[in-house]
Amino acid sequence: MKEIWIYAEARGGRVNEVAHELLTRALDLKEKLDNSIVSAVLIGHDIPDEDKQELIQRGADKLYYVDDPKLKDFLVEPYSKVLIQLVKEYTPEIIIAPATTQGRTLMPYTAVRLRTGLTADCTGLDIDEEGNLLQTRPAIGGNIMATIKTATRPQMSTVRPHSTRPAPIMDGQRQGEIINIKIQLTQEDLPTARLDFIKDETQGGTIQDADVIVSGGRGVGKADNFKIVYKLAELLGGAVGGSRDVVDRGWIGYPHQVGLSGKTVNPKLYIALGISGAIQHLAGMQTSDTIIAVNKDPDAQIFRVSDLGIVADVTELVPALIEKLEVAKSEV
Amino acid sequence: MRIIIPIKQVPETSNVKMDPETGTMVREGVESIINPLDLYSIETGIRLKEKYGGEIIVVSMGPKKAEEALKEAIAMGCDDGVLLTDRFFAGSDTFATSYTISKAIEKLKPFDLILCGERATDGDTAQVGPGIASLLGLPLSTFTSKVEVEDGHIIANRLIEGGYEVLNLPMPALVTVVKEIADPRLPTLTGKLKAKKLEIKQWTAKDIEANPESLGLKGSPTRVVKTFSPKVTREGKVIEVKDENSLNQALDEILELLKEKAVI
Amino acid sequence: MKYNSITPQIVDELKQIVGERNVIYDDIEAMEAYSHDEVAEKHYAHMPDVVLKPTSAEQISKIVKLANKYKIPVTPRGAGSGLSGGAVPICGGIVLSVEKMNKILEIDTQNLMAVVEPGVVTNEINNVVKEYGLYYAGYPMSVETCYVGGNVAENAGGGKAIKYGVTARYIMGLEMVTPEGDIITLGGKRVKDVTGYNLLHLMVGSEGTLGIFTKIIVKLQPMPVATADLLVLFNSVKEAIDIVPIIMTNGKIIPTSIEFMDELSFKTSCEYLNEKLPYQSAKAMLLIELDGDNMDIIESQYETIGELCMQNGAIEVYVADNATTIERVWRIRRNVAEAWKLVSPHQSLEDIVVPISEIPTFMDRLAELQTKYNVSIPCYGHAGDGNLHVTPVKDPEWSLDKWYDTLNKLLPEMYKIVANLGGTISGEHGIGHKRKPYMPLVLKDTEIELMKRIKKAFDPNMILNPGKLFDID
Repeated sequence: MKEIWIYAEARGGRVNEVAHELLTRALDLKEKLDNSIVSAVLIGHDIPDEDKQELIQRGADKLYYVDDPKLKDFLVEPYSKVLIQLVKEYTPEIIIAPATTQGRTLMPYTAVRLRTGLTADCTGLDIDEEGNLLQTRPAIGGNIMATIKTATRPQMSTVRPHSTRPAPIMDGQRQGEIINIKIQLTQEDLPTARLDFIKDETQGGTIQDADVIVSGGRGVGKADNFKIVYKLAELLGGAVGGSRDVVDRGWIGYPHQVGLSGKTVNPKLYIALGISGAIQHLAGMQTSDTIIAVNKDPDAQIFRVSDLGIVADVTELVPALIEKLEVAKSEV
Repeated sequence: MRIIIPIKQVPETSNVKMDPETGTMVREGVESIINPLDLYSIETGIRLKEKYGGEIIVVSMGPKKAEEALKEAIAMGCDDGVLLTDRFFAGSDTFATSYTISKAIEKLKPFDLILCGERATDGDTAQVGPGIASLLGLPLSTFTSKVEVEDGHIIANRLIEGGYEVLNLPMPALVTVVKEIADPRLPTLTGKLKAKKLEIKQWTAKDIEANPESLGLKGSPTRVVKTFSPKVTREGKVIEVKDENSLNQALDEILELLKEKAVI
Repeated sequence: MKYNSITPQIVDELKQIVGERNVIYDDIEAMEAYSHDEVAEKHYAHMPDVVLKPTSAEQISKIVKLANKYKIPVTPRGAGSGLSGGAVPICGGIVLSVEKMNKILEIDTQNLMAVVEPGVVTNEINNVVKEYGLYYAGYPMSVETCYVGGNVAENAGGGKAIKYGVTARYIMGLEMVTPEGDIITLGGKRVKDVTGYNLLHLMVGSEGTLGIFTKIIVKLQPMPVATADLLVLFNSVKEAIDIVPIIMTNGKIIPTSIEFMDELSFKTSCEYLNEKLPYQSAKAMLLIELDGDNMDIIESQYETIGELCMQNGAIEVYVADNATTIERVWRIRRNVAEAWKLVSPHQSLEDIVVPISEIPTFMDRLAELQTKYNVSIPCYGHAGDGNLHVTPVKDPEWSLDKWYDTLNKLLPEMYKIVANLGGTISGEHGIGHKRKPYMPLVLKDTEIELMKRIKKAFDPNMILNPGKLFDID
């Protein structure tokens, strides 16, 4: 039996939704790969049973659960040790992890020790005739798509979050095997200590997790005008992003930067306000489900990737839109 | 402090042109620059050196031309450079690259800290930094937005989903940094003159005692089997706002789309 | 000067010439774009009665003949990116836009020349000739928008004039329509030509008052492949300016450009850009660009210049020799105007020229003016050719009346200072109608009288771009 593993990322003691997206990917691969099953790997401490059950209800045939108080928070060194040990014991064919900060830290740290290949930030996964994993990812700022094969086993990839929908709960009756694993961790396995977590209090949350992102660029005019971007994001329940240009100008902080030197995002809706659409920005957002762009310049590149483009001054259009949304809200 | 900074020379891609026929990048006339995200690791290293003393060695793997990137880093304030150049290195994926650079760093021992940029803007994998840390058995902090040194330890802030995580790592350690960490300086004339005079060491596979089986294309577990142009153009509607009427039309279209996508 | 107004019958005749779709008439909204250039103040704008977009010299000839017949003014227009109101139809009538005459007709690699129509975006010439390893050097700073026709009409300059000169140097020939409607050709693909008066160069910088260009022959040259910039911080304006002649005499190097920024300019720009270079103690910045066909030569040149700067008291010399760093240093210079627009949208972008050696004296006098009128006047521009964009900026607290009132006193006083230092009131933006009142401050009556006579000789009916440069009764 060939095992397709998903790394079920836990954050703050709970399974993150991104694991359910990986199940969608894994179920698709299972269909194409003969004689295969989907297993989830979950590392953490005191993760509620309902989260584990949910992984099974959404498609996992097996769950490897490694519980230890020392594994309460993600730390790359012990997590990697655990993952390596699991791989050596259960020899999966494929491991897919989310291309989150956790996945993009754990997987490369693990892959080189296993002397196997790893493909970063994939947007497409498939199986070829020989049963090999085909991993497709954007490169050179999204200008090229490359399909990559791995000669060694396991075949490992990280997958861009939000690039697929979460797997649905099937019938609520699925049975899966939960394998509880204990792994001895010594002090040597825990060189790094996690001292603190400082929550990002900016409204709308982080852009990587948001379903809706309202982003501002130079066309917003000045730092002070960003308040209309925040206001619109608030009305739409979204996070606030910015182009490199405005981050460089200090109009908004770096954690909000969308693009090549910032974050790649994949929300359901991306609203680009006064962003011209330099390649480096497009690379970070062009795979969003729906894109609305507002820009003064009718020739702006951003309109090439937009579902709806409005040629207008952001500072005129957005306040009018906010007003309409507020009216619509009060009518409900 | 002895700091090692691996850097990469990449094509300048902010104005990248694609050949619409072949779907490949037009390389002609494209300048090579230091990976823009490596400027932040270089700046971080220089600031630590200014504070705690010591020296910085920049390392790069690439063709002879990549010496320019090392010289630019030295002009900014690094002290020495090593270029890993050998035809056996060609075609390396992230595994082979991590392996090659980690072998070179072993030769540069002892060191206190390795600083890497978050990722390179061409390959965009962010895998080589963690890969080097793992092969050298070093504690790792990725996506780091702040570093401080406290009695033999690194206190690092990691920028992760939802906020910043504070880690305490023993040295030697490897830290990959994000842009937020520091604004890079410009090279000065004095720095340029110093870099010009300095002879950059060139190391081959033999020099770093690397296993030939783990190098270059041969040592790379991954293979690119196909490249193609992404379809980015959408048949989007564009409305030009000229007056009250078209403004209202635009607003209605937005609202309709928001409703359709169940955002409101 | 009295002109006739445009009647629907005349519009019909014009439609016959250029075709219905190339006429804008009776559409205030569409015509508004043709009522102003980049000068922000509304009082410099004026609506046209009709806008025409001809596609050939023959059509322009017919239009101009018709305008002479009915006595209707014709204002030629390029991209509208001018900064002196030159393309504004201040007497109404016809705006003749060359926007549809936008073809590059020929690239002559044998003679190193290109033949282009006036509506070609200047930058486009370089995009096309780049394929041949060639370069058109006669271009100003606003390359993304301006048309080559407008560049010729204004004899545009820009940042590279110190090495490459201004537009005139690259104009080898013109086909044009005279103010009476004849089509003539001046110059040609000839490097030397002393046959009679040089009418060709009389046309360059004539601000659309002596003819409408329909074809332009420009000179090309091999493209420089290596570029580097030095950003130099100084303790004083004097130290910064003193270095300019030293670079050329002691250094024996002619840089591509030497751009100057005073403290108000670079600090506002750096703050706007969040640029954290240690510039706090600096009082002036120079941005020195070098280009050539060999990086080794450029390197030795920037070393020479950099060392001269250090010897002459520079605080620091930064070197930018790749895309990342070059973009970073030029961003500071390019964003001065935009940064100040955020401080206050009302400013008067001036374009004075003084002999390079007089820049420090001028800056001292400018400081006095700032105090006297309580107005911020950032000053930046092309130190290499003494051309400075002195930009009085309205205090956001002031009323518009107070602002214009102050400006009306400040500008003549500043221009008198400029004139006394052997300078002039415009280096590259032109006179148009914005600076018309100040012409007598720098030109003698006799000179202006000669210009008027030239105008009358070319344009007896005063049809072409009336009300620019000077008024004729």
